[in-house]
This record gives sequence, structure tokens and C-alpha cells, in this order.
Amino acid sequence: MLKWLSPILLSVLLAGCEDPNWHTSDISDIMPALDLSLMDENGQQVEEDAYTGKTTLLYFGYTHCPDVCPTSLARMTAAIKKLDEPARDDIQVLFVSVDPERDTPARLRQYTDVFGPQFIGLTGSTAQLDALTNRYRVSYGYGEKDENGNYDVSHSSGIFVFNEQGDARLLMRNSDPIPSMVSDLKRLMERG
Amino acid sequence: MANKLRTRALTHARGKWACGLLALLLTGGMAHAQELSLQDARLSLLPGDMPGAGYFSLQNDSAEDVTLVGAQTDAFKNTEIHMSMEKDGMASMQAVPAIDIAAGKSFEFAPKGYHLMFMNRVAPLEVGDDVEVVLLFADGQQLPATFEVVSPATMH
Repeated sequence: MLKWLSPILLSVLLAGCEDPNWHTSDISDIMPALDLSLMDENGQQVEEDAYTGKTTLLYFGYTHCPDVCPTSLARMTAAIKKLDEPARDDIQVLFVSVDPERDTPARLRQYTDVFGPQFIGLTGSTAQLDALTNRYRVSYGYGEKDENGNYDVSHSSGIFVFNEQGDARLLMRNSDPIPSMVSDLKRLMERG
Repeated sequence: MANKLRTRALTHARGKWACGLLALLLTGGMAHAQELSLQDARLSLLPGDMPGAGYFSLQNDSAEDVTLVGAQTDAFKNTEIHMSMEKDGMASMQAVPAIDIAAGKSFEFAPKGYHLMFMNRVAPLEVGDDVEVVLLFADGQQLPATFEVVSPATMH
């Protein structure tokens, strides 16, 4: 009974007031500012300055992942929907594919369109991807190809959150409930 | 006394009728094979040739344990049972050859856990469509089911 009530209570509590605490993990002193050099879903080479000015969520995955990645992105879609309308224009989700062999810019654009206008697909060469994954201590790896050429890609599942200046601020995990994500995003967008 | 008994019998019969009708109405959107049933079957559809995910609740109301070994649909070339895992912050996935479901138990295929992985789509599909999928069991049983096509953005 209590298990059921707690998320509801939390949502009610978080709905109105400015929360004095972070609910997800504070990584401000641990992780460096956003720095990347990748290809976006329009085939353009981009660097981090393309993304400063908005709160940024950074997530690593691949499109041939029908369960984990869409579920994580769907959580972000749900969290963004709980923000005020103007705030939804000040936030973006960078979906970085660590599977450049299959994830062309066109495929990335098709994929991110499912989740909302704030979602942007990016990928790059192994060197470019490794520069970014090493920077945030993220891992990824490829499984064996089956007889149809399909393979799995394992990847870190955390969401890195940067403020408008590109400073690393939060890490959101699968275990963080959506109300916690919403509360922290609102607080971050207010105070940077 | 006889009248009272007759009235009771009539009310009981009407009650049975109502239950029967209700059961008939409720079974829309589900599937039965002997005493195996599937509820809440959804196909999370990604665009283009990207794979889809199948989620459902499988109830084994029979007296025997059953083993789910796969699934098949005309809408995709290959369907497999997969399981998503997360260990130390790393997400991964693996194919699962078989799942035992004990007599009287149910089994959930849900986001971030077990799911059907539908690969190489051959038929056009849209959110809101119904897709026929047959679940295959080790003893040769087949459970046909109707999956509702949903947007991945709603699966969280």
C-alpha cells in the first residue's frame, strides 16, 4: 500500500513547491563541461556550441534497440511533457548512437522524430564517439552478428544533464522515477 | 415455498446469463488456447526497418507447466524472445531460447525486461493497427494473439 502511495505523494509534493534537494545524482564537481564533435541527423558536423543555450540531456544508445533505448527516451518524453510549454523549447535531448555502422543520419532522424521535437540524433566515427564516451566514462561494445547480420550493442544507460552553459550538472538513472526527473529538471532550468 | 424456489432459480439463471455475456465482452482483445491466455498485448513500433518490441502478460491457468520457445508473425521475418538487462549502469540484451511458466502462474513481458524482438518488418504497420502473432510452446501448443501497435514514446 505504501509502495503505491509514495510515488503519488511525491508527485503531489513536487507538483507545487520548489524542491530544496536534487533527487537524481549531482555530478557538477565530477564531470566536465559538454564537449563533442559529431555528425548530426542532417549529416552536418557539429560541436558542442550548437547545443549551448538550452538545457541538454545526453543519452547513448542505438536504434536497433527496441526495448531499453525507446523506454529511456519515452521516460524523457514523459518528463518533458510535464514541464511548462515555454520550458519545452529550452530543453533538448542528444541521442548519441554508438552504432554508426547501422545508424545513418536519416535513420537517426526517423528514430528521434518518434519521441518529440526536442530529440536530436547524433553519431560519428569511432574516434569521435570514443572521445565523448571516454570523457564521460561511458562504455559500449558490440555483440556477435547472427546469421541475419543482426547484433546487439551494450552501452551505459545513464542520462547526463547539462545546464544552458554546457556545465555537467546531473546524472539520471533508470531507477530515478519520472517525478524526480521532472523536479530536478525544473530546478535546474530555474537556477542553472 | 415452491414459488420462492422458482424465483430463486430464475434470478440465478439470469445472473449466469449476465456473467456469460460479460465474459464474452471481456475476452475481446485477448487470446486463449486451452487454459493459456494473453492479456494486454502491445507491439511497440519503431519506424522503417528498425526492430519492434512485444509486451504482454501470459497466464498459465492449466494444471501443467508450459515452456514458451518463440513466436511468429507474418508482419516480420524473424521474431525472438529477448531479455534486457542492466548491470553496473550498462544496458545489454540477450536472446532467450525458452521460458518456463509454472502451472497457475503468470509471466510478464514488460519494458526493460523480457520482450519479443520483432526483426525485419515486411508489412506496413501504423500505431493503432492490430497484428496477429502466434506464441509457440515446447509441447507444440500454439497461442494466437492480437497485439495492438503502440508508439514507443508511450512505453515507459
